[in-house]
Amino acid sequence: MKMNRRSFIKACGVMAGYAVLGVNMTKEAAAAAMGFVGLRQKSVYDADANVYKIRKSQDNPMIAKIYDHETGFLHEGPCGHMSHHLLHTHYVDRSARVKALKAKGFKFNL
Amino acid sequence: MKKIEGVMAQTNAPKGIDPDGIFFVQVDPAKCEACGTCEEVCATGAIQSINDDGIRAVVDPAACMNCGQCLVNCPYGAIYEGVSFVDEIFEKLQDPNTVVVSMPAPAVRYGLGESFGAATGTYVGGQMHAALRKLGFDYIWDNEFTADVTIMEEGTELIQRVKEQGQKDARPLPQFTSCCPGWIKFAETFYPDLLPNLSSCKSPIGMLGPLSKTYGAHETHTPAKDIYTVSIMPCIAKKYEGLRPEMADSGFRDIDATITTRELAYMIKTAGIDFNTLPSQQPDPILGDSTGAATIFGNSGGVMEAALRLAYEVLSGKTLKDPDIKVVRTHEGINAADVKVPGFGTVKVAVASGLANAAKLCEEVRAGKSPYHFIEIMSCPGGCVNGGGQPLDPDVRASLFKSTVAQINKRFRARRITA
Ligand code: SF4
Ligand code: SF4
Repeated sequence: MKMNRRSFIKACGVMAGYAVLGVNMTKEAAAAAMGFVGLRQKSVYDADANVYKIRKSQDNPMIAKIYDHETGFLHEGPCGHMSHHLLHTHYVDRSARVKALKAKGFKFNL
Repeated sequence: MKKIEGVMAQTNAPKGIDPDGIFFVQVDPAKCEACGTCEEVCATGAIQSINDDGIRAVVDPAACMNCGQCLVNCPYGAIYEGVSFVDEIFEKLQDPNTVVVSMPAPAVRYGLGESFGAATGTYVGGQMHAALRKLGFDYIWDNEFTADVTIMEEGTELIQRVKEQGQKDARPLPQFTSCCPGWIKFAETFYPDLLPNLSSCKSPIGMLGPLSKTYGAHETHTPAKDIYTVSIMPCIAKKYEGLRPEMADSGFRDIDATITTRELAYMIKTAGIDFNTLPSQQPDPILGDSTGAATIFGNSGGVMEAALRLAYEVLSGKTLKDPDIKVVRTHEGINAADVKVPGFGTVKVAVASGLANAAKLCEEVRAGKSPYHFIEIMSCPGGCVNGGGQPLDPDVRASLFKSTVAQINKRFRARRITA
């Protein structure tokens, strides 16, 4: 195996750590990461079920207030004029720069 | 450069700059050990080898979706953030003439506690509100409120699209969610032909910014020009979103600053606040109160579930007795489900976690073969709770070492046998 400066440094670091920590570290890094994410996800669903008294957006009293047909700031209801002005948007075709990079020889996954 | 919860960051506060030219993440070549982990987790291939030593770099911001998955997965801490507003926010908090408004995302409250020693995922919503108040924010508004607004807007849009099928100028199905800024840039860059399929709704933070400076200003009798809105996100791509030129519908910049969960933890520590002794507090009314449907936005499948809790009731005219719609909850990969709605039929939905999976669903839509009404996409595997701005998984910076040790073990054993 050809060793460049980087992998040499890396190997030194690993050897030093190896001497300290010993053998039998088999836990998969990827599996560990998903376990970590799973814990956060579970906490979200627990809070949804146990912490939040109201569980549907349409039942939020402040939603009723903002969309109130007469006095609400968004009185026309969802997707009304004010909603379209403030809460909706448009998108921009951004493909040109990546196309130009590819034409210059850069490789990407897509 | 500042070290913020284990991640280096350039402290600047860009304004009026085209965010397409900014490297929101970049590799420090002096720290890169050429392990290639970042390249493996990057869906677009923006981060790649730049020399024979295998040192990696984001080669051009145009190809980078700013998701930060490379950053949180680098075992050597070699990847830094290019933008941080923390210094400017501290200044604004000191300024008596500026009304500083907080806008934390749902997922922040499932990660923030970890920076103060809590177990992974611990819910700290109440302490987060208290900490923001202690930091000096004038109004503790909460992005969860606009997650509820998003459901009203996006759910209504979906029902409109379903009804207008077959009519002239009907907007196409499937409708894609539009709350994830990594996904939006991804669609704009690699699938511009599918932009009509994207919900026209801004993300919850895209809505809370302008609502703060219009509705919020009006309700609190605050001149909109004095309001400084701080978006607090589990996400680096939200910094890009906040700087999009079109995010100025309130007549001002809708979002003045964007920080991550890590940066909020840093600010709390820097201010000397003892987070763990804080009481649990509520957000401020008008733009603060929320529901369980809003908090689940933090998980892959959450926006879908929240939208279905609305769509079910609107389409069927009946009350949804059990709000749990567990079939759409997504841990990783792609999850497809048929949801039966009385009086309507079957709503066909799919959830993709991670941009490589998003690309698969996009290819189906492009080929005209997508059977779905509604597709949710999140750039980060598992959703925003695993976003690029969340506190680091302590195992990640140990993991490469562990797996390399395992490889060396194997090599030593192999050598002994052949010797
Ligand atoms: S993960 Fe970190 S150390 Fe490994 S190649 Fe990427 S930047 Fe370099
Ligand atoms: S931020 Fe995301 S898209 Fe950009 S280089 Fe890192 S992993 Fe790739």
